[in-house]
Amino acid sequence: MESQLHSPVAMKLVLIPLLAATALFGQTAQRADDTADQDQATDLNVNSRYTVESVDLSNQHHYRLSTSILDEMHRLIGSRLNDEAVKRLAGRIRGELRAHDVTFKLLRGGNPDSIKVLFEVEKGQSDFDLSIPKFAYNSREGGTGAGQAIGRIGANVFSFAGLSDGDSLAERFTGIQAKYERLSLGSDRVSMGFEFDAYHEQYNGATLSAIASGVDASSLGAGAYRSRMNFEPSATFVLATPLTLTIGFSFEQLQPQVSAVPSESANAVINTLRYHQRWIDSDDTNQELDAGYNLRAATRSIGSDLAYTRHAVNVRYAVMHDHQSIEIALVGGLIYGRAPLFERFVLGDDTTLRGWDKYDIDPLGGNRMIHGSVTYGYRVVRVFYDTGAVWDQGTAPEVRHSAGVGISSGMGLFQKGAVLVAVAFPIRQGRAEPVFIAGMNF
Amino acid sequence: MTGTTKRSLAAQVFLQALLCLELLGLSASSEDLFVRRFADQIRVLAPRLHFLSGKSLERLRDGVTVPFDFQLRIAAGLKNNFVGQPAVERFSISYDVWEEKFRVVRLRDFRKSAAGLSAIAAESWCLENLLVPSAGLPADKELWARLDIRTAEPKEQVSSNADSGISIPALIQLLSRPPRPQQDHWTLESASFHLADVKQ
Repeated sequence: MESQLHSPVAMKLVLIPLLAATALFGQTAQRADDTADQDQATDLNVNSRYTVESVDLSNQHHYRLSTSILDEMHRLIGSRLNDEAVKRLAGRIRGELRAHDVTFKLLRGGNPDSIKVLFEVEKGQSDFDLSIPKFAYNSREGGTGAGQAIGRIGANVFSFAGLSDGDSLAERFTGIQAKYERLSLGSDRVSMGFEFDAYHEQYNGATLSAIASGVDASSLGAGAYRSRMNFEPSATFVLATPLTLTIGFSFEQLQPQVSAVPSESANAVINTLRYHQRWIDSDDTNQELDAGYNLRAATRSIGSDLAYTRHAVNVRYAVMHDHQSIEIALVGGLIYGRAPLFERFVLGDDTTLRGWDKYDIDPLGGNRMIHGSVTYGYRVVRVFYDTGAVWDQGTAPEVRHSAGVGISSGMGLFQKGAVLVAVAFPIRQGRAEPVFIAGMNF
Repeated sequence: MTGTTKRSLAAQVFLQALLCLELLGLSASSEDLFVRRFADQIRVLAPRLHFLSGKSLERLRDGVTVPFDFQLRIAAGLKNNFVGQPAVERFSISYDVWEEKFRVVRLRDFRKSAAGLSAIAAESWCLENLLVPSAGLPADKELWARLDIRTAEPKEQVSSNADSGISIPALIQLLSRPPRPQQDHWTLESASFHLADVKQ
């Protein structure tokens, strides 16, 4: 039957004059009643008479969206369905997530005159992405940066990253991270991953002096090491969306600075329980909650030279309404046993006790830590207050405070591409030197 | 007959059966398209055609507006000798997620629309509003009517609707090329007829 069709060229010869005439006629007629037609154009979808109750993204915990897209999602809530606006937004989400396709569906709302909009992301069979997951500059501690390449083939994700991080630990570590993830293992609720890391370590003079002096010797394992390698197999289970549990092992090998000394291992069982949820309410309020508990237990039963248990918890809650936002972040942790330097807790970096120098607080970090932070935002302006203490078991904690002001394109961890430029001050007696912080995605 | 010949024959029969099934999927027989006169225009009926089905119906039930492109042509003398002006229309169909009824808008003229329709009624409404002028059709020749229907692809839907009216270039481009594999499409032909014999 298809062979009976006229050729495309012949069809064009017939259609072009006809449709051109139709277009001319249509345009002439449209000029007379342009406004009416525009109003009616939005009514192509019969559901445009309903009010949008909520706008969501399915599996939203898998994705990070920019502030502008989240804002656009909020703007749809409370107004009549605008089919074109929803399609445009789907196109923007598709572009930002580099998805194969983004579709939407309308669901019945809580009231008979309301509907819910649900976007669904189709990632496609394969893709490749280059990104900068972290970039930061601290006028006191220097730069930190990471570049990452991610390739995805079906449910297999390969990632490779190069990084130099002088921010998050007592040491600066520079090296590579290579990871393979299988996103679906028989079920979408189970995934597995293998990660290999290799780092070269550099130390601040204060840290080396503290190690040499024997301070914290009772709680510090391994001393200073030249490099470390980590192999980490893990499996993640979706217990009840959005609650996930990751279990696995971390086989960490520490090469001492003196080659004659044998290397030490810090092999640990790892467990992470994580909850991440986002709510977009009908009154244009966006709330996000990210909470996690991480346990690393190094034991001799899995060949570890060092034995310790490290517990860490974090809770971050953000609420945004109109142009205002508040973010509250709490972290805490404790270590039992002799943990190596990379496991110890540090405050005074680009996200905690901003304005303080982490080497002034404790050049070796501590095995006890608690920290809280509150950030208020109005449009792009941010004002923050940090408080916390890091100490060793058996010593008295000294609580420190800091405050700062800056500008940011986003709020917290949840938004892709968020940039922060800030000046932070330690709150203390005497002279306080401000610290300039700039960065992205940290 | 040797075993090889039998296998070869079976393979041929199987392939022919597959081909028939494929053709059935793309078109319907001449008994499925009936021609009627409406004043000085020709329109068609296709009681066995249900284009609100499959993926298109799924998308509609998800609340998405799905445009369908229609073309009705008349051939004279030979089945592929099309004469006169074809009828070309884009109908935008949506589904009320609360009332579970369809709404159809003829994009060439937004004032022409119907709501609260069942699937069959929505399909019929589209055909009722697809009219070919009978003036100029040869009265002394054997005639055939041919109906082509396609869903617009998602990308084309965005570009066409964004113009707040029918996008003529998009429609020309769409109808002048073979349908893409992911597009639902239907082709129906009527039995031969003479203009004088067409019922009202």
